[in-house]
Amino acid sequence: MGRYVVRRLLAAIPVLIGLSVLLFAYIRILPGDPCVAILGQKRTPELCAALRENLGLDLPLWEQYIRYLLNTLSGDLGASVVNSQPFMAEFLTRFPGTVELTIGALIFALGVGIPLGRLAARKVGGRIDGLITGVSLFGVSIPVFVLGLVLVAIFGVILEWLPTQGRIDARARFEATSGLLLIDTLFAGRLDLFVDVVRHLILPSIALGSIPLAIITRITRASVIEVVNEDYVRTARSKGLKEKTVDNRHIMRNAWLPVTTVVGLQAGALLGGAVLTETVFVWNGVGRWVVDAIQNRDYPIVQSTILIFALIFLIVNLLVDIGYALLNPKIRYQ
Amino acid sequence: MLRSAMVDPQLALPQRGLWGDAARRLRRNRPAMVGLFCIALFASAAILAPLIAPYDPYAMNGSSLDAPSLTHLFGTDLLGRDIFSRVLYGAQISLFVGVGAVAIALVIGGALGAIAGGFGGRVDSVIMRTTDVFLSIPSILLAIGIVTALGRGMPQLTLAIAVSYAPTFARLLRGSLLALREADYVVAARTIGASRLRILIRHMLPNALTPLIVQATLVLATAIIDIAGLGFLGLGPSDPRTPEWGTMLVDARQFMQSAPHIVVFIGGSIVISAIGFNLLGDGLRESLDPKLKR
Amino acid sequence: MKNLRIGAILGALLMVAAACSSAPAGKAGGTLIVALPGDIVRTDAALMDDSNTSYVIQQVVETLVGLEPGSTSKVVPVLAESYEMSADGLTYTFKLRSGIKFHDGTDFNADAVVFNYERYIGLPTELRDYAYYIGDIFGGYGADSNLESATKIDDLTVAIKLRKASSTFLLTQTLQVFAIQSPTALVLGKADNTETDISKVTAATGGAGAMVGTGPFKFVKWIVGDSVEVEKNADYWNKDKVAYVDAIVFKAVAEEAQRVNGLATGEIDLAQTIAPATIATIAANPDLQLIDRGSSFNTFQISMNHTYAPISNPKIREAIAYAIDYDFLIKTFYAGAAVRATNWMPAGVAYAKDLNLPGYDVAKAKALIAESGETDLTIDFWYPNDVTRPYMPDPKGLFEAISANLEAVGFTINANSDGWREGYLDDEGQGKYEMWLLGWTGDWAGPDNFLKTAFFGYKNGAPSKEFGYKNDALDKAMNDALAAGSESEAKALWETAQDLIRADMPTVPVANSKPQAAATIDLKGFIGSAALNEPLNLVWLDRP
Repeated sequence: MGRYVVRRLLAAIPVLIGLSVLLFAYIRILPGDPCVAILGQKRTPELCAALRENLGLDLPLWEQYIRYLLNTLSGDLGASVVNSQPFMAEFLTRFPGTVELTIGALIFALGVGIPLGRLAARKVGGRIDGLITGVSLFGVSIPVFVLGLVLVAIFGVILEWLPTQGRIDARARFEATSGLLLIDTLFAGRLDLFVDVVRHLILPSIALGSIPLAIITRITRASVIEVVNEDYVRTARSKGLKEKTVDNRHIMRNAWLPVTTVVGLQAGALLGGAVLTETVFVWNGVGRWVVDAIQNRDYPIVQSTILIFALIFLIVNLLVDIGYALLNPKIRYQ
Repeated sequence: MLRSAMVDPQLALPQRGLWGDAARRLRRNRPAMVGLFCIALFASAAILAPLIAPYDPYAMNGSSLDAPSLTHLFGTDLLGRDIFSRVLYGAQISLFVGVGAVAIALVIGGALGAIAGGFGGRVDSVIMRTTDVFLSIPSILLAIGIVTALGRGMPQLTLAIAVSYAPTFARLLRGSLLALREADYVVAARTIGASRLRILIRHMLPNALTPLIVQATLVLATAIIDIAGLGFLGLGPSDPRTPEWGTMLVDARQFMQSAPHIVVFIGGSIVISAIGFNLLGDGLRESLDPKLKR
Repeated sequence: MKNLRIGAILGALLMVAAACSSAPAGKAGGTLIVALPGDIVRTDAALMDDSNTSYVIQQVVETLVGLEPGSTSKVVPVLAESYEMSADGLTYTFKLRSGIKFHDGTDFNADAVVFNYERYIGLPTELRDYAYYIGDIFGGYGADSNLESATKIDDLTVAIKLRKASSTFLLTQTLQVFAIQSPTALVLGKADNTETDISKVTAATGGAGAMVGTGPFKFVKWIVGDSVEVEKNADYWNKDKVAYVDAIVFKAVAEEAQRVNGLATGEIDLAQTIAPATIATIAANPDLQLIDRGSSFNTFQISMNHTYAPISNPKIREAIAYAIDYDFLIKTFYAGAAVRATNWMPAGVAYAKDLNLPGYDVAKAKALIAESGETDLTIDFWYPNDVTRPYMPDPKGLFEAISANLEAVGFTINANSDGWREGYLDDEGQGKYEMWLLGWTGDWAGPDNFLKTAFFGYKNGAPSKEFGYKNDALDKAMNDALAAGSESEAKALWETAQDLIRADMPTVPVANSKPQAAATIDLKGFIGSAALNEPLNLVWLDRP
């Protein structure tokens, strides 16, 4: 197992190098002076000179690249063009919002998708199966921002069941410590605010979770159908085990494998989808920040966010692969 | 990349007579036919827009925010333009940009995948690591990055979407080619001394295209959604008058309370087009997969 | 060209009047949620130039002098108790109120005022671009600044000395930029002219020492990109005006749809600006109220740069003025909350007269184009794609409608757009645009603020790069008017100036808008100001 993990880690290195080259090139292929791209319109000759010095813009390209790499590795990911705030500090204040949102979406997708998939598999070919397949088709076909707008209109504005913007009731003036409001409110013993945070999470999670929900439903359905007729399942049944036990012990354990993989692959799509979802729900996360950055031509922010999102994607997939290897011993011998 | 998990490269094992077979099966696949119908609706709206649109999509020829009526099927927007006509022309943009982007992605991704899968070795690993880099960036974010760097506009939009899909195609084709390497007829061709290039082009590629076609169909659905998404973020066509669906949605959302039908009509158009390609893609996969032969 | 509306013009002091008349006291308590169209940019009064920032900062820090209610030119004391000007007009002596403390507990006194004014003079080069108004008003920094010195006479007396007499000095000191901040906090926040890297000046970036003033609210925190929170200053020096609400959270809500939704669901109490297109939605909701801000104090215009063809041709500019369907624009985008501009300045400004501007007349426009002899009728036309302004509630929509009008008479429009802060303002100011959408919200109600500062005054002795509009007679008339010895002379000169502008049609004024606010019906005591000078200490929430 250890060797497998090391191998997977080593395999990530060329990807990381490639990523850094790509992002290094990004700032430099932008039209115009990189000084403008990085400092914005409020630059002064002094600041430009300092930046040229810092990034080594007058040095040969490879030396500039080394500098970029060293800066990045030391955690210096640049600063905002607009309000001069350093990237990392700003990122960290927003990241918890995106984490809560993506986890909310995943919980929704898994919590609803797996039961739906199992149900559809049990009634394969029937009307319920058709309905579930239809819902999942709708889920992958509706853009998150359209779904978001509709959810806000129905459950927020018309029915007034759920809040439509932000992560927590602003009137509560809650002082977050970690930024993960679900945890912070619990630790502060504010159960009322915890409920409020959950309520704020519901609509955005549904909007963002719609695509993974659809995919997880399909995968679960397909893998359950596949294993249901395997010998060991039949054996288990013929042994007279209860249907529920067969389901949980034999069918789902195997169905989990493809579901895990899909979750890993969906991590990227979730982070991407968060960009649109956060915009619709005035959600203070990295996604909305990036959209603002794009509009303000805040290239350092765009560049560094792409870097971090890609890193997260790689890490999640590494974890998924390791989890996969744990679940499926065959992998290790390959 | 969203759907990459769903197409199995292994399904690339067809023999010659498969196509007729598949077409027959496709015709019997009701969801696929519904999909085809949705696509036909979408494509004819796009292609015939100049003929069937009742109004000039740029002309302000009604009063502001008219409700749907016989004169204006979908009502009018804030500027008094006919929404139905704009939706039709919007289909044109989605279709052209979507098909263009997927075609470019197919060519780039296909070429890279063919080289990687056909030749293997160091070329293969360089290409695969490169696709890994691109796949690690969420596709919409990659597209956003490209559009912000290149500036707004249709060609940029097309290219951005194409670049974000190409790696998936490359991986898929490579996977199929690898699976085919040990296929009997390939081994046979090799033993009679056919050149590597000849084997790749004559024997392997034609048989590896099936998953690519399925994937391309599914990706068209994603492309339509992503184009609208970029438009929604203000990264659509550079001329704001262009009737692009995502851009139109931005305008429509402020009337969500007073004129919700606008969002419904535009959103519905996106959903129907995407459903069409998703259904057809699924149908194609099923009918091309010999394992599902009854 | 900034659109900062600082300064206490119309509304600020209407508030005072209102406070006196609406005697029944409001209800204390609660948190007010205010939706601003965008996030604030900085937390340092001196280093700001945008209206979102000034809207928040005006709640927290105060100036020495303000403007009298109902007047746009009569200066009254605020933190100063009284003031006087020396005979030569070079020295202003301010007597300060005693017993006032900054939010950090330090005393407001002569040392504090001197510290702030010396900061304006010696602002480090690197930071000067962030302090648009200081440079503009004093003409520079160090030895170039018209501000020569600020001297402490005694603990509560300060003398401010100018190099050249300036009739507008006191008026400009009512701008929020010149609000007095705690020196201790400024030192703590590295805003004492020692730090040159703006990202390390924590007083400006929301960290230590940010926004420490004497006002009715105290700064709590700024969640960059999301919200700013201020809380009631229970020890506010003006006992009659201690805030009702416990706190205000200013949320950056860029999308109109989200503002309207937030109002409808009660997640927002007050939307500082709403798009006129949604006025009907709000009016139809019994839980919401629309707030009128009185007469207009802005001009929205189709700006043009005369160095480009065919704009350089006066007949073409006149034709453009005839091509626009003004009534449609006002009805569609302003929902009637605007009037057709009859001048380059709104009607209330001194000496403004009806200039009989062209109306919508397609035939006339076409005829003028034919007369002009121009054949290449292609125009590069720009709009900002990420903001709304009080005078321009829907830039993209206005752009589309105006483009359609222009194409209808034969022009070909190349559509272009850019982001407001990073691109648009700089590029149009540098003369890179041929035609673009922009307007001006007044800083003070003098004709010079619109005609000269905002639009057509020469910069450094030459036509501004922005408009490329050369008219020496006009520049002279405006300069003479400012230096005019008598009211009648000034009036005559300003009228001449207006006639000169009208003859050239350098740009096309479209509308003077009356930007509306919207709030829940529970919100009481709010009085809108066309200049967005809206202290919120007298606002209260009528809810259990």
